[in-house]
Amino acid sequence: MRDTATNLKRSQKAQTVIDRLGKKLNRQIVGSLAACVHCGMCTEVCHYVLTNPDDPTYAPAWKADRIRKIFKRHYDWTGRVLPWWVGAKSVFTDEELEELKDIAFGKCTNCRRCSVNCPMGVDFAVANRMMRGLLVSVGIMPEGVAVVSKDQWEIGNQMGVLKEEYLETLDWMSDELESELDDSAVRIPIDREDCDVVYSINPREVKYDPRTIADAAKVFYLAGESWTMPSEGWDMTNFGLFSGDDDLGGAVARRLYEKVVELRGKKLVISECGHGYRSTRCEGPNWAGMDVPFEMESSVITMLRYIHEGCIKVDKTRNDIPVTFHDSCNNARSCGLFDEPRELLSLVVTDFREMYPNRAENYCCTGGGGAMSMSEYTPRRLKSAKIKADQLAATGAKIVVTSCHNCVDGLTDLIRHYKLNMKVTQLVNLVANAAIVPVKVPPVIVPVEIEIPPVMPAIPPERLKGYKILVVDDEPDILTFFSAALEDNGAEVLTAADGDSAIELAGRVKPDLVTLDLSMPGTDGGKVFEALRLNPETADMRICIITGRPELRRLIYDRQVQPPEGFLDKPVNEDTLLLNVRKILNIN
Amino acid sequence: MPKFEWQEVSIDVDEDGFIEDPALWNEQVALALASTEGVDALTEDHWKLINYLREYYAKFGIAPMIRKLCKETGYSLKEIYDLFPSGPAKGACKVAGLAKPTGCV
Repeated sequence: MRDTATNLKRSQKAQTVIDRLGKKLNRQIVGSLAACVHCGMCTEVCHYVLTNPDDPTYAPAWKADRIRKIFKRHYDWTGRVLPWWVGAKSVFTDEELEELKDIAFGKCTNCRRCSVNCPMGVDFAVANRMMRGLLVSVGIMPEGVAVVSKDQWEIGNQMGVLKEEYLETLDWMSDELESELDDSAVRIPIDREDCDVVYSINPREVKYDPRTIADAAKVFYLAGESWTMPSEGWDMTNFGLFSGDDDLGGAVARRLYEKVVELRGKKLVISECGHGYRSTRCEGPNWAGMDVPFEMESSVITMLRYIHEGCIKVDKTRNDIPVTFHDSCNNARSCGLFDEPRELLSLVVTDFREMYPNRAENYCCTGGGGAMSMSEYTPRRLKSAKIKADQLAATGAKIVVTSCHNCVDGLTDLIRHYKLNMKVTQLVNLVANAAIVPVKVPPVIVPVEIEIPPVMPAIPPERLKGYKILVVDDEPDILTFFSAALEDNGAEVLTAADGDSAIELAGRVKPDLVTLDLSMPGTDGGKVFEALRLNPETADMRICIITGRPELRRLIYDRQVQPPEGFLDKPVNEDTLLLNVRKILNIN
Repeated sequence: MPKFEWQEVSIDVDEDGFIEDPALWNEQVALALASTEGVDALTEDHWKLINYLREYYAKFGIAPMIRKLCKETGYSLKEIYDLFPSGPAKGACKVAGLAKPTGCV
């Protein structure tokens, strides 16, 4: 086969990739391929770049350019007319496709941190997933992806678990629960029709560690839920998301949906798995081309509702080891699921410590995008995990909680590699552990009063009386706003509009607390923080870092001094400010 | 291909530290691999699990379900996690000389 423009020979696979690229183009992909201005913002936020600063081939813009060149050469008029002007370049050989595979699968976990930080709205992960799909369609993919996809196509779940093995495992967990709770009603109902909840899981749970299944069953039982687990179509993971194969994505999602419809379930609850949640709840209906006639929900939200509505009671003192929370990329960045897990955590543990940056700005566990199944890239993965390891270590927590099975394995691997002495667990384990099992007593009907705690307790004025607080920020509006809020509550407030005067004032006045903006011209917040910590007279001063750009927190992490007492993200509202100030100053 | 060396043992492993050629596995290799999984010494209990994993793998070419492993060997889930802290998938299978389990583990 020869290219009409250059008369160069092209392999069958390369030609197929080019032809199929044209069919994959949609508004989002074309926008992402056309809009990049090479500003470099993405290089500052990618965990691969941050751990390989001297290797430009990890930069999201560079990686995207490998796809962009082909797009321009064949589908954009600029590249057809003036290829040399816009850097357009075609692909000709299978070796070039192998190089693309190395980038698409081995140098990106599709975590989308660059996407949410791109000022032009370029979603590189979408283009990268498309490239993965094109390569898979001509049989070029890592072996691990091929094996798992085959199992999901042929056996119906990604770990090749047979139906009888699955049912036997559920039966086993039912036996364990029955002996623990001494009630046969705790057994897991299979294929029960007309239930409010149909519960789907990750095959990893049933194949290697079914404790999460037993814990979820315990929670459903205690909540008095009408629920069931399906005998088929129970795998809510979807390798179509990782491999870019929309057909596989659709087939897997359809299996789940059709089973729920068959059982006439009202809601599909998805256990804690980031890519499963995104695939099943957000992407699946499109891949499957199906209107889904029931609700879909993460089990995190289900469990939170049980506690809110008083269906289960919990005793958080049973989970008293310091924990931090790791946001899965798919949950937080792609689906906006980040406040609910924190709220649930605050109800079931006594010592929660935030990880920075967090929520949609969190760093990938480095095992995302199917990376855990591609052994050939493990050394790169573990090298890039340095960022995550530093983030984990800075929290001082002993347990990291995550609502994603992929993250559980990614984090476990890097914790061992970097010798962090931390354990990984999931919310369902903590909720089941904190859940109070009612003592069996003869039924007495008593009206139940549910006390609804106020969302944000009103703070009586003068709570901060007697405290001196130094507010440091280069924005006059923030200075005025913080001062007013703190003074209204009785604090004595001093202000500094730049780093140097902040250091001088803090040394002279010795405030009880400094609220410190990170991003300031000249001496930035990081330098002020270090100067205060290194001066014996101010070393123990309580400091709350304020920033509108969470990634700037590296200005703090990189310093070998005691970490700050608090962090607040801009924009800050008055209630959050006061609550955090009181927390840092230990005022109830 | 990475080489894993421990005392006199020197074997080829994959990037995740799983043995490349299962035919080269022996008890000394098991001890060597155990050292990477937080297991200092292999007791009789460990061997019982390892032997079962190897038999199953030789027959079926995949790792057994945790249910099978517990039922056939008589150990509870908790005991297995106590014996192999990194779990049956990565810990026990690696020591027993199986290939890395597929999927997101």
